[in-house]
Amino acid sequence: MKCLPYIVLMCLGTACMAQKPFFKQHDLGESYQNAKVKLMYEDPRAAMWFGTTDGLFLYDGIDFQPFIKNDSSSNHVRAVYRDSKKRLWVGYEDGSICHFNKHKLVPWTLGKNISNVPIIGFAEDKSGQVWMATYGDGVYFFDEKELHHIGQQEGLPSNDIYTMLVDSAGTVWIGTDGGLSKIKLSDGKPVLTTFTKQDGLPDDIVQAIQPNGDGRLWVGTYEGGVCLFDPVKKTMEFPLAGQDLGNVKCLELFNGMDLWIGTTGNGVWRYSMQLGKLSHIPNFSKAKVTDLHRDIEGNIWVLTNSQGIYSANRQFDFVETPFENVQALLSDRENNLWIGTIEGLFSQRLETNGNKGFQAHLANEILNTVCLEEDDFGNIWIGTLGNGLYVYQPKTGASRHISINEGLVNGNILSMDGRNNHIWLATLAGATEIEFGADILNGGKLGIRHLDQADGLGTNFLYKVFIDSKNSVWFGTDSKGISVFENGHLKNFPTASHLHDDGGTEPDTRLHAVYSITEDAKGHIWLSTDREGIFEFNGSDFQHLTVKEGIRNLEITGLATDANGHIIIVHPSGLDVLTPGSKHLIYYGEEVGIQKFDPNLNAVSTDRFGNVWVAGKNTFIKYSALKEDLEIHPRTLLNNVAVFLEPVDFEKDKTFSHDQNNLVFSYMGLWYTDPQIVKYKYRLSNYDLDWIESKDRRATYSNLPPGDYTFEVTSTENDAWSDEPIVAYSFKIKKPFWLQWWFIAIILPAVFGLFYWYQKNRDRRVQLVNLLEKDKVESQLAALKAQINPHFLFNSFNTLITVIEENPKLAVEYVENLSDFYRKIMLFRDKEIISIREELELVENFAFLLEKRYGNNFQISINLKNLSGYIVPFTLQILVENAVKHNIISKSKPLVVDISTEYKDYITVTNNLQLKLTQEKSTHFGLQSLTVRYEMLGKRKVKIEDNGQVFKVSVPIIY
Amino acid sequence: MIKICLSLLGVLFGWVAIGQAQNSYSTQNGAVSFRSEAPLELIKASSKKLQGILDISQNTFAFRLEPASFEGFNGALQKEHFNENFLETSRYRFASFSGKIIENIDWKQPGTQVVRAKGKLSLHGVEQERIIKCIVEIADGKIKVGSNFTILLEEHAILVPRVVRQKIASEINVEIEAILQKQAQ
Repeated sequence: MKCLPYIVLMCLGTACMAQKPFFKQHDLGESYQNAKVKLMYEDPRAAMWFGTTDGLFLYDGIDFQPFIKNDSSSNHVRAVYRDSKKRLWVGYEDGSICHFNKHKLVPWTLGKNISNVPIIGFAEDKSGQVWMATYGDGVYFFDEKELHHIGQQEGLPSNDIYTMLVDSAGTVWIGTDGGLSKIKLSDGKPVLTTFTKQDGLPDDIVQAIQPNGDGRLWVGTYEGGVCLFDPVKKTMEFPLAGQDLGNVKCLELFNGMDLWIGTTGNGVWRYSMQLGKLSHIPNFSKAKVTDLHRDIEGNIWVLTNSQGIYSANRQFDFVETPFENVQALLSDRENNLWIGTIEGLFSQRLETNGNKGFQAHLANEILNTVCLEEDDFGNIWIGTLGNGLYVYQPKTGASRHISINEGLVNGNILSMDGRNNHIWLATLAGATEIEFGADILNGGKLGIRHLDQADGLGTNFLYKVFIDSKNSVWFGTDSKGISVFENGHLKNFPTASHLHDDGGTEPDTRLHAVYSITEDAKGHIWLSTDREGIFEFNGSDFQHLTVKEGIRNLEITGLATDANGHIIIVHPSGLDVLTPGSKHLIYYGEEVGIQKFDPNLNAVSTDRFGNVWVAGKNTFIKYSALKEDLEIHPRTLLNNVAVFLEPVDFEKDKTFSHDQNNLVFSYMGLWYTDPQIVKYKYRLSNYDLDWIESKDRRATYSNLPPGDYTFEVTSTENDAWSDEPIVAYSFKIKKPFWLQWWFIAIILPAVFGLFYWYQKNRDRRVQLVNLLEKDKVESQLAALKAQINPHFLFNSFNTLITVIEENPKLAVEYVENLSDFYRKIMLFRDKEIISIREELELVENFAFLLEKRYGNNFQISINLKNLSGYIVPFTLQILVENAVKHNIISKSKPLVVDISTEYKDYITVTNNLQLKLTQEKSTHFGLQSLTVRYEMLGKRKVKIEDNGQVFKVSVPIIY
Repeated sequence: MIKICLSLLGVLFGWVAIGQAQNSYSTQNGAVSFRSEAPLELIKASSKKLQGILDISQNTFAFRLEPASFEGFNGALQKEHFNENFLETSRYRFASFSGKIIENIDWKQPGTQVVRAKGKLSLHGVEQERIIKCIVEIADGKIKVGSNFTILLEEHAILVPRVVRQKIASEINVEIEAILQKQAQ
């Protein structure tokens, strides 16, 4: 009666029993919500391109990067293709074509657009010619010089092309309203053959062509479904005859085994050739599918007109169930799934279209089912917690209870494994072997054997029993590691000789509770433990795999071996798939649809196809090993190099100048199975000391010094960093020209020359300054000497004496002038230059003194037009004094001195030349010193003119 | 093909009989009806003003209709609403379908055939490339054309407010029946 709630649940559940892949939706982003996604294209580097009504997008699994044309032409992308010359072709609704270059869309024209009809496809033939298909104008091919057209006139049934394919032999296949056409080029001339309904095609409207890999083609039609066409034999096969698929828009094929069919208005179909089974994918009931795509990891992508972009991992299917807590799972040979719960036993028929829902069994018994096993007779063995063992035949409903009364030692059976007519039980009181015959349900005799601690078993508390391919029986114990019963002998592992880290004699305590056991193709035994990860036993040694080796979660509850020989590790974060040889791990979790779950120890089962079933809360997960050669690493792509944020054509540009030293590298680690999990490691060799680990998809280097560098980047999806391929980009930052040898060779002598010249010049200047200083001092000294000359004083005083009595007033004036004269000498002595006015005052004082002494014998006249400007102190005074000193001054020969402007910017002192016969002793310093000082101060020189009659000295005015 | 369509439209709408008239069949009073089956309301309307021309030498055709000529509806207000809000008939006066018949037909052979007509269906100013299945009945001097197809409002940018979605279906069923007469030589 306690099953009643379940029966109700079951009836509710039947509607959703179907196996469903988990489709993850990819969102173009807020700004492009109204864009319709029309196509996707995975280029040979595995980068994913999407064509939408609003532009081209590049996708790395996380972000869509838009590339939008800025001109007025259409952004509605209809075709994307990357050719062998690494050109990315993009075709648009309005007939325009672009190439993607330096991260930009660059219009491609041969002087004109092909046409103004949509470009719907590109392809490349064997000779490297790029073919372009249009909707409305036939096809074109480009031989790198010009475009050649093939249209209705050349024999194409229609100019509206739906699909174009170039097969591995280089033949171009075209689908139109008029059937399937084949184009071969013979001497550059197209030879067309068209296959139509008359040749057996189910419909003339051919919208999809997909190569089968063996020369045959899958052809998808508007109304006639799909057919498999053999171009050599010209025959058609109809493996899906009688199925109304709908309007077939696109086809995708995995490994020649798994055909996916996208329709307009009828969703997605999947046809498994291995099983000969067609199923409608429930996720896309009536969707208009615009494109299908298989990626390099084996994921299927579905693009729909209304909802967008979806992808699913084909290895996983999910079944919704009413069971919250499944304790045991078994997939039998009849393709039934048996489910053991605390409530009892249930079964569900798999792979059937007419769902009957879950069926309850042995409802009258108390079946707290913890393990299930099927024997060779099709009997189901049910191990319970506390109530012993049941054997049940589903076809007849007959059952038999084997309890302690029948010879069992313990009624708690935690695990079972059987072979032929033997079954082994792991109980809480050791191991039990039961030998039985076909008559077991008719009261046949049972042979029961028991093994426990007394027989040498590590402990009596057993979690797991497993019979390997050599018929050895392995027991996982609660605290004493693993035991094996081989040829009648029990052995316990680990012994002192195994696993001892410290060389001591104590067994390694890491291996104590063993929850799960499986065997790989080489016969190695794999164990999972309660907290210490996984051990591999090769018959003599254990190898330990834990977090460091990439195990994602140590709460491992189950191990299984799939059809490919991979070890499936079940834990609350999902499933890890381990390749035994390389130890490479792939994680599957939320991204493939596995929500966090808490699986029970026996809720894992491998079916007869090698599929692994795991029960989670209200869901069964089916993992089918794909017999396909799939990519197991993220593909690392360097997708942009920017110098000062400006993208460069990095395929070609590998040399930069010294000031192009700010580089940003953008890369992607493409792992569509779980894009968020990808981590990166990069290094700039010759710069970084070590690898840098990062989640960023960009590395920035600024102020790189000149040198040769290699940027290396790699990505991982499982943190193992084992054998992931590395992408490298080598480049050079050139030295600036001033560090180039040729420049140095030229510039070095020049620098020396310059230095020498400078040095020399400086010496000269210093000398000049010194000289100037010396001259100044000397001229001051000379002036002082001259003025304090006793002769001058004596004469002055004599003059004064004669005046004092005659004209005391004049005498006072005389003394005033004398003292003025000396005061000015004192005042101007230290100055470099003085104004002409000041100098004239001085000269007037001096002249007064001279006039009083010589009377009319000395005449001075000052006629200066311009008194602005400057002059070296005492210049005029020295010149006047010189005239007085060297010339006769007498009544008959008066001395006439004239100060006037004779040349522009000069002051000229002129006197009549009547040299004394006996020259006063002179240092000849006065005039010479003046000349030198003017030379140093300015460019203009002192002019001296002597014509025997007149002596003229002109000194420059300094402004 | 577009050119052919355009010239056909020219023939059709200009009513100029030109040399190829002996290959042409036409009608001015074809019947068109539609049904919108929404959870809360069934709307039906029909018109007998479908104009069309078929050139059997080229396998091309052109049809057009003024949606304003639809009669029926569940009341006059609904019709007004249909013309003004949904189809904006004053702005987009005609709905049309023109193109080419995919199948090759022996027009001399009397009888009934199913053919697919491919062309541009223009409604509410928005063109959609469609393949529409038709039943063609060939008799002496006339060709009867019948078809049943659906139009998705969304595909023609006809926006129905959320409130009225229970009264107007997003998918409209259209039925056409026309008898095209051979044009006088």
